[in-house]
Amino acid sequence: MSPAGGVPGAGAEATGAGAIGAAEITLAFDQATVDLDALQRSAYVVAAEMTVDIRVCGADYVCTLFPRRQDTRDEDLKHRFRAEVNDQILRARIAKETEPLRNLVFALAFSQTGLADAEGSA
Amino acid sequence: MKLERAATALPRHGWQLLPLRFHRIDADSVVLTNLVGEHVFVTPDELRTVADGTCADQELLARLRAAHLVQVPGETLPAELLAIKLRTRMRRLPDSTGLHIFVVTLRCEHTCRYCQVSRQSAAKSEFDMTEETARRALELAFRSPSPQLKVEFQGGEPLLNFPLVRWITAEANRMNQEHGKDLTFVIATNLALLDEEILGFCAEEQIHISTSLDGPQDLHNGNRRRPGRDSWQQAVAGIRRVQERLGEDRVSALMTTTEASLGRAAEIIDTYAGLGLRGVFLRPVSPYGFALRGRGGANYDVGRWLEFYRAGLDRIVELNRQGVPMVEMYAAIIAKKMLTNADPGYVDLTSPAGIGIGALVYNYDGDIYASDEGRMLAEMGDRTFRLGTVRDSYADIMLSDGLLNPLTESITLSAPMCATCAFEPYCGADPVFHHATMGDFTGHKALSAFCRRNMGVFTLLLRKIRDDPYFRDLLWRWAQ
Repeated sequence: MSPAGGVPGAGAEATGAGAIGAAEITLAFDQATVDLDALQRSAYVVAAEMTVDIRVCGADYVCTLFPRRQDTRDEDLKHRFRAEVNDQILRARIAKETEPLRNLVFALAFSQTGLADAEGSA
Repeated sequence: MKLERAATALPRHGWQLLPLRFHRIDADSVVLTNLVGEHVFVTPDELRTVADGTCADQELLARLRAAHLVQVPGETLPAELLAIKLRTRMRRLPDSTGLHIFVVTLRCEHTCRYCQVSRQSAAKSEFDMTEETARRALELAFRSPSPQLKVEFQGGEPLLNFPLVRWITAEANRMNQEHGKDLTFVIATNLALLDEEILGFCAEEQIHISTSLDGPQDLHNGNRRRPGRDSWQQAVAGIRRVQERLGEDRVSALMTTTEASLGRAAEIIDTYAGLGLRGVFLRPVSPYGFALRGRGGANYDVGRWLEFYRAGLDRIVELNRQGVPMVEMYAAIIAKKMLTNADPGYVDLTSPAGIGIGALVYNYDGDIYASDEGRMLAEMGDRTFRLGTVRDSYADIMLSDGLLNPLTESITLSAPMCATCAFEPYCGADPVFHHATMGDFTGHKALSAFCRRNMGVFTLLLRKIRDDPYFRDLLWRWAQ
């Protein structure tokens, strides 16, 4: 199982139904392209719509999606989770790239409040 | 002109991202926000090119640069400006606490459906605050480093203990001769007990009146019951008397949304406009006290409230277009956070949370709470937000675990989902709400009604800012 082409990090549908269970809604994500952290963050964000079970299966993370509402279409659920995973990957990339500047801004902001001096003299 | 353009053109990978967060507000629209909430709308494709560094659209790059979302490598000014703006937004923190709420009595002659305050019958004077308790509370209030002190009288119905309101006002003024703070007073009253003596006192002391008005007569009287079933008539007559005697800007009203209010947003707004009130605060009912009972008026979900809010906002915008000035107060608070670097200090929309550091509540019996909702939880048997009593020291109150634990655990910059949310600069931590509804101070934001409601309002306002130039200008005026 490998990620769908063209979209970084996008998952593919798991086809090995025997191991997972035929009625289950599953998505597989290649561990080489998707961090577990992105999957866990995504599972947290979509918690109102579904719960997600994440397992390691060979080179993949296999995510089993459990909808909270029974009238949700399987494909909609998969699109929703895949889209959230892609956004989480993008957020992580931006956060990593901008972390030094973020730290700089916070350091500049709070180095001139006098709070550091007050603490030092206490 | 062409030369200037060429000189400032940024090539692909010739710029770098500043810290930013994004939120997809429509299928074809994404909002990017910087560390202090300045925002730019882009398309999903533009987001991709911005994120991977391949954007060469000079017009877009200019907008992103102006909003401190990208910079040229080596520049120092953007980081310095962001730091100044961030510090400006946080400048209220060292000046805690500005709002001091005195619950001068739990007695009330109303029996409102959604009451959050465990009212007692009007005859039970054992639920009145004493002068000794009030004096100790004032001494604590004046220990606050805030240069502004607002003393707000609440109840129950505070006018049922008007002698103490008068006493506290005089004592606060006397104490302030030494402290020299910007001292103001507010009475939160249903106005049913307003008389000439009270009006004269309010005129003399320049006291602001905050009252409740749920909308048209039948809706208001259905929610807010009192002997004679004339709460609305009393409130309207009181508002007019205050306007005439003290001035139009000295009285404001709050409404609470019950399920009976849903579908009647325009009528509610028009009732306010008809009374010459220039502001409406479209508030959902809070999940505390009598509101939790079956007939408490809280039987609706966030989606229905958001529909109500949208309809109310549309009506307010329509009135403004017709030349009737009217402000939706919640949108105005958010506008200040979205469009300026000022923090309005609204307790429910700040991080760190506003409990304790934004407001302290002195209960009639001398107990001190981090917020009015915290006091209500105590009435329901949960004393999590009781910080101590008026006999404790200021340091003991402000450094108590009861205050510091919820403050530190709920900070949005480190809370799951909030930390990466594009709306974090506009939003706040509400540890009391999340403790009451979910059992922890942070709350699971994906399941949180607080989060869903505010995300809905932010998205609504941003769509209107993007699509409607008139609304954008109106919101700018509200933000000032």
